[in-house]
Amino acid sequence: MSASAPRRWPLLIAAAAATVLLGVAAVRDTGPLTQQERIESISRRVACPTCQGESIAASRATAAEAIRAEIARQVATGQRTDDEIIGYLESRFGASVLLLPRSTGLDSLVWILPVVVLVVAAVALAAALVRWRRTAQQEADGAPSAGSAERQRTPVGRRIAVVAATVAVAAGGGWFVAAQSGQRLPGQSATGGIEESTATILSQARSLNFSDPKASVDLYGRVLEVDPDNVEALTYRAWILVLAARDASDEVKLAAFAAADGQLRRAIELDPNYPDARCFLGVLLFRYAGDAPAAKEQLDTCASMDPPAVVKGIVEGLRGEVEAALAED
Amino acid sequence: MSAAAPRRAAAVSIVVAIVLALLVGMLARASGGADPVAESPLLGRPAPDVRTTTIDDALFDLSRRKGSWVVLNFFNSTCVPCREEHGDLVAFAKSQDGANDPVELYSVVVDDTDAAVRAFFDELGGSWPKLRDPDGAITVAFGVAQVPETWVVDPNGVVRLRVAGRVTLDILRSEIAVLRGEV
Repeated sequence: MSASAPRRWPLLIAAAAATVLLGVAAVRDTGPLTQQERIESISRRVACPTCQGESIAASRATAAEAIRAEIARQVATGQRTDDEIIGYLESRFGASVLLLPRSTGLDSLVWILPVVVLVVAAVALAAALVRWRRTAQQEADGAPSAGSAERQRTPVGRRIAVVAATVAVAAGGGWFVAAQSGQRLPGQSATGGIEESTATILSQARSLNFSDPKASVDLYGRVLEVDPDNVEALTYRAWILVLAARDASDEVKLAAFAAADGQLRRAIELDPNYPDARCFLGVLLFRYAGDAPAAKEQLDTCASMDPPAVVKGIVEGLRGEVEAALAED
Repeated sequence: MSAAAPRRAAAVSIVVAIVLALLVGMLARASGGADPVAESPLLGRPAPDVRTTTIDDALFDLSRRKGSWVVLNFFNSTCVPCREEHGDLVAFAKSQDGANDPVELYSVVVDDTDAAVRAFFDELGGSWPKLRDPDGAITVAFGVAQVPETWVVDPNGVVRLRVAGRVTLDILRSEIAVLRGEV
C-alpha cells in the first residue's frame, strides 16, 4: 500500500462536505414575512405564459397580471401555502408555468445532474492529482512508472468502495438539492395528479346517475358527509331515490317519496334559484302525490329559471299533462 | 490500437444516435402547434367554479348548467382572431336553435369593457350571454393565456375540449359530435 493512499479520504470527505454546504446554501430560506412579500416570492417562481423566460413578477402582460391578481386573492384568503398556490397554477396552465423545475419526476434531473457531475468531477480530479503526485514521486525515486502496476497494487475492494462512496455522495447531494430547491407541489404526484375534490366526486356521481344508481347515491352520500348543504348532491340523491322506488312496494315507495320530498325542499330552501330541485319536486308532486296545483307552481318556477337541457327534457311533456289535469278539475 | 477501441466507438455512436433521436422527437412534438385542439391539465377534470354576472347583470353559475353541453369562448373585442372566428360562433349558435339537446354558448369577456363588448356584438351579431371576468379569475381558473380560446364542458360538468386560437364551425360541430358519441 502506498503512503499517499490514505490522503484520498480527506479529499472525499472534503468533496462531500462541499456538496452538503452547497445544498444548504441553496435552500437557505429567510421566509417572507408579509402578504406582499409572499405575493412577490410566489410571482418570481411562476413563468409568464405568454412571454419567453420571464416571471410574472417582471412581466406586464395581461395574463401575468391576471395570475398575479389570482395569487394576491389566494394569499389574502390565507387558505393555501405558497407551494399549494403554485400547484394550483400548474393544475391550470400546465408545467410550463413553473419557472423552477419540480423536485420530482424527470424535472428533478435538472437539480440532481449538476450535483452528480460536480461530485464525480471533484473525486476524479482528486484521484488524478494523487496519481500524478505518486508518479512524480516514483520517478524522482527512480522507480518504474505507475500506470497499470499502480492499479494492480490498489485493492479492487477499495476501488469499488471509492466508486460506491462517490456515487452515494453524488446521488444523495443531488437528491437533497432537488428536494429543497425544486418546486414542491402538495397534493400532486410525480405524474401531476390532483387530489380528489367534491367537484370530482359530484362529476363521477353525475356520470353514474342512470347507469349505476347505487354507486351514484353512495357518491352523493360521500359529498353530503363533508358538505351536508350541498344542493346538487341533495337534489340528485333525492331524484335517484324517486326513480329507484317507482317499482317498489307501496310501503317502500311512500317512504322513499317522503324522504325525497324532504331533501328536495331542503335543497330549494338552501338555493331557491336552483331549477333542477324545483323541476324534480314538481314531477314528484304530480306523479306520485297527485297535487297538480303545487306541481304546476314548482314546474313553472323551474321553467322560468332556464333549466339545463336534460332537466328541461324530463319536464317538458309533463307541464302539458299538469295543465290538462288542472283544466279537468 | 486495441480490439476494444472499435467496440467503444460503436457504443458511443449508438448512445449519441439515441440521444439525438430523442431530442429530434421532443422538438417535433414541441413544434406541432398547428392543431388548434390543445392539451390542458383540466381535460377530463371537473370544470372550475364560474360564478359571475353577464354584462346584462344576470347571475351565472356554471355548476348550475350541468345537464347541458356548454361552450365557453374567451374573447376580447380588440383581438383580431376573435373577430375572425365570431361569424363561426354566430353560425354555431344559430345551429343550436330548436335543437333537441342544444349546446349552450357563453362568451367570457377578457380584459374588456361592457360597452366595447356590446358594440362588438351589435356589429357582428350574436345574442348569447356574455360573462364578466373583471379580475381575470375565470381566465386563470381555465389557464387561458391568450384569447381567443374555446372550451367545452359536458353535462356532467367535466372539461372535455380546449381549442386554443381561432375556432371554426367545423371544429365545434365535429369535436362535439365525437364527444357526444354521435360519430
